[in-house]
Amino acid sequence: MSKAVTIILQIIGLYVIYLLGTLIQTTFHLFIPGSVIGLIILFALLSFKLVPDRWLKQEVGFMITHLPFFFIPATVGVMSYAYVFEGKGALLIFIGLFSTALVMGISGFVAQWMTRRREAAHE
Amino acid sequence: MNEFLIAALIIGMTILIYRGALFIYRRFRRIYTAPIILSTVMIIVLLLSFHLPYETYMVGGKWIDHLLGPAVVALAFPLHQYREILKKMLLPILTGTLIGAFIGVTSGLLLSKWAGFSELIIHSIVPKSVTTPVAMSIAESSGGVMPLAAVFVMIAGIGGVLIHPVVMRYAGLTHPLGKGVGMGSASHAIGTATSMERDPLEGSVSTIAMVLSAVIVSVMAPGLTLLLM
Repeated sequence: MSKAVTIILQIIGLYVIYLLGTLIQTTFHLFIPGSVIGLIILFALLSFKLVPDRWLKQEVGFMITHLPFFFIPATVGVMSYAYVFEGKGALLIFIGLFSTALVMGISGFVAQWMTRRREAAHE
Repeated sequence: MNEFLIAALIIGMTILIYRGALFIYRRFRRIYTAPIILSTVMIIVLLLSFHLPYETYMVGGKWIDHLLGPAVVALAFPLHQYREILKKMLLPILTGTLIGAFIGVTSGLLLSKWAGFSELIIHSIVPKSVTTPVAMSIAESSGGVMPLAAVFVMIAGIGGVLIHPVVMRYAGLTHPLGKGVGMGSASHAIGTATSMERDPLEGSVSTIAMVLSAVIVSVMAPGLTLLLM
């Protein structure tokens, strides 16, 4: 199969799983996005080897490598919201940074502490 | 011109600009030359100079938007790729990511609420620590807006990469597992790229944390938002 055909088939496959996720979301009135449900479905399919390994070896990277391309239209939309960051809005940048520092420091600290304790127990 | 032609033109232009941005990024490899930032800036400049509103761009843009969902589904691939590390280190990675998700949502929400920002802004800042497409759908379903959510995701990503040396020194992060969980939980794909360049284990852990975080935050955010607003 040519590279282009593989990529197109994969995108169709991903789209079908995405639609299935959305269907599950609306049927059961879940608040988790359909796309995230789709992610879980695909991970389960891969784990139980229900999706052929071939899929993994060929061009799988395409959508992942070019993920940023798919959200360009959404980010361009910021041109309609530039006013939000004017004046007091600049404070939002500091809030974002401060919250990010908290997440990084604490989540990393906990994971590291648990790993070290486990490593010590094995020695 | 009919709508179909305009749409095709816009999609073609977006692909061209994205490829150009990718070329520039591969030359300079700086976070502020990340393809998403360069492409967005170039398109906005182009639209402004031709006095075209965002709505006109979206005649074509909405077709690209349609592929966001499938792109999120594709995140299962990297998670599966690193399943051995995930299995071996499940508890530390999962616990760290869970705590990170909780802190990210609550601190973003409470700080912007106390500062007196509107609900539209608060709902857009809540999912900032997860990858853009997931953050956008979380924001949208709770009453935020996608483009603003994307900007906050960029602040968490680029900001996180800029401040990480200081944060890691203060938090005493030296183990690749701690560093990876921190980067992936706080700064999603942009942080993961930095981790990957430094150390393969840190990069793999960061990838796992990024994907887990996307799932956890999308489950956690609606409830926490309801509780704290």
